[in-house]
Amino acid sequence: MKILLTGLNHKTAPVELRERLAIAPENLAAETQALLSHPGIREGLILSTCNRVEVLICHDGDDPELSKYLNQHFSIDEKTLQPHLYAYRDAEAVRHLFRVASSLDSMVVGEPQILGQVKESYSAARSVGAVGPALERLLQSAFTAAKKVRSETLIGASSVSIASVAVDLARKIFGSLEGKRVLLVGAGKMSELAARHLMQQGARSLLIANRTHERAVRMAQKFEAHVVRFDDLYARADEADILITSTGSPEFLIRTPHAQQFLHRRRNRPMFLIDIAVPRDIDPEINRLEGIFLYDIDDLQSVAASNLASRSSEAMRAEAILEQEVVRFQKRVEVLDVVPTLVDLQTAAEEMRQAELRRNHGRLRSLTPSQLEVIESITRGLMNKFLHQPLQTLKAAAREGDTAAVELIRSAFQRQGGREDAGNAAQEQSAPDADAPPAESAGKSGEPESLISKH
Amino acid sequence: MLADAHRWMPAGMHEVQSMLALLITTAFLLILWRYRTLSFGVFALPLALLLTVVPSLGLDKYAFKSPMIRSGWLFVHITGLLSAYAALIFSLTASLLYLIQERRLKNKRSPGFLNWLPPLETMDQIAQTTLVLGFCGLTIGLFAGSLIAQEIYGARYFADPKIWLSFLMWGLYVVLLFVRRSKGLRGLRAVYISSLVFLAMLSVWAANVFSSVHRFSAP
Repeated sequence: MKILLTGLNHKTAPVELRERLAIAPENLAAETQALLSHPGIREGLILSTCNRVEVLICHDGDDPELSKYLNQHFSIDEKTLQPHLYAYRDAEAVRHLFRVASSLDSMVVGEPQILGQVKESYSAARSVGAVGPALERLLQSAFTAAKKVRSETLIGASSVSIASVAVDLARKIFGSLEGKRVLLVGAGKMSELAARHLMQQGARSLLIANRTHERAVRMAQKFEAHVVRFDDLYARADEADILITSTGSPEFLIRTPHAQQFLHRRRNRPMFLIDIAVPRDIDPEINRLEGIFLYDIDDLQSVAASNLASRSSEAMRAEAILEQEVVRFQKRVEVLDVVPTLVDLQTAAEEMRQAELRRNHGRLRSLTPSQLEVIESITRGLMNKFLHQPLQTLKAAAREGDTAAVELIRSAFQRQGGREDAGNAAQEQSAPDADAPPAESAGKSGEPESLISKH
Repeated sequence: MLADAHRWMPAGMHEVQSMLALLITTAFLLILWRYRTLSFGVFALPLALLLTVVPSLGLDKYAFKSPMIRSGWLFVHITGLLSAYAALIFSLTASLLYLIQERRLKNKRSPGFLNWLPPLETMDQIAQTTLVLGFCGLTIGLFAGSLIAQEIYGARYFADPKIWLSFLMWGLYVVLLFVRRSKGLRGLRAVYISSLVFLAMLSVWAANVFSSVHRFSAP
């Protein structure tokens, strides 16, 4: 089973492209299912946030051409997409996923939302049966790694989220936030966080407008905010000094004429617009208007980048932790990869049988070929029966991810894990007794592989 | 310096410049105290230094020798006008800084060395407040000046280019204040208007050369 991770993020692609690829949360499950139907893909997961669209798959054999899948699926031609895509395989993919989950690859390093987003993708993929044992193991390890990074470094501690960047910018414009009014358009997690930050810094009141009125009401109760009906948005937006949009609208909600109206009614008092939606909600053109300060998610990044320096030492520590976690995961995968052990056990038993037969060669010389054949089949049958239960338990333990049991069974048979031993054993076996039927052992070793790969 | 000369009023160009420097520094300290921003020092203090140092390098060409210099009205006249100049200089500086900060926020690339700039709204408030204060100073100064002139010279005095320009400047100032207040002008347009008034102010200063009745060297 191979792991492949491909996609694009804020470092490789501009928001103009990311918003064309973005998948709405409610479509995530269906998209994952569609991905799974692509030939060659056994397990899959799609991560789509405002900063990245990534496809993580487990596959057998050659690379399924994922970039082609993306091209077709989002009707973006290959030339546009290709330069922005990255692809990581196996250990690289594991490392990348760990970095993403622990927010080291985030636009604002250390921001806490990304882990939740990865979890959402995971549960969406689970709901359509796209998560098998391999992905399950990978994601659980990623969650563990992320938690470890969070608890053992200060990466999330300093004020390092989109929200705090927004607060900093608001301060640059308005000085103190005392008495300022904030309007949230769209009730998302990110905007909620930004609003909370702004209120903590002294913003006076909060207005919430959301397409589903009930949701706005619910959120308003939490923040003691006022609800603005979505239809009244344009009529009342000028009341706000800071406007944060995060709706799922596919087209711009606020364009230049709207902003001109706002400014006119505000008598040119400046307005700070934050667009954290992907696709964007506010036409970037309006930033040309005097008195309008529009920041979209990419702009916040460049500001956040200047905060990065102070966190780089923590980020280094986090990277070191992740490196350990990646190694640990690889080891775990190796341990749980019981195929070599199965082969090893069988070849060792076969070796033993052959040795016994050879040792008794003299005494068996008097037997006829048909009698010899009976002995051959009895010994083989015995061997297989004896091995059957331990091998089944080993396979089951691997399936469950029970490394302790796997190690125990291995040590009971005095077998070490890892492919190397299996290779050596195979060589040792083939060297001394060339007369042993090679086809048979090959057939035996082929069997467990097919059993293993069923799950 | 003024105390040395035993009078509370600046007489002569050099002394006027020194007093302007003093007023600028005072304004800077007031802004520092009120808004806690040092940024204006970058512009104000070198200007004040220049206004103090340059006059001390040479003898004053334009000395104002008249028995009237001990009159309280004239003191009001000069102080009022000079504080208006100082306030206007600050207003223009604030508008310019506003413009720089605005461009910086718009372009979203933040070079670190500009981080010391105060927030936009503070800058706007400074520009507004200094404008209003300057207007008060200008009005008081002009009023006092007109009273003195009316008293001593009569209507003839008002036909001089420097006097016209002074009133023109006052008129411009009213327009600027009105426009800024009503439209909430900021940024580039505010800078245009401020610089226009500032230019008018400079020309009033320069008109000293053309004036026949209000030169510092006038008899």
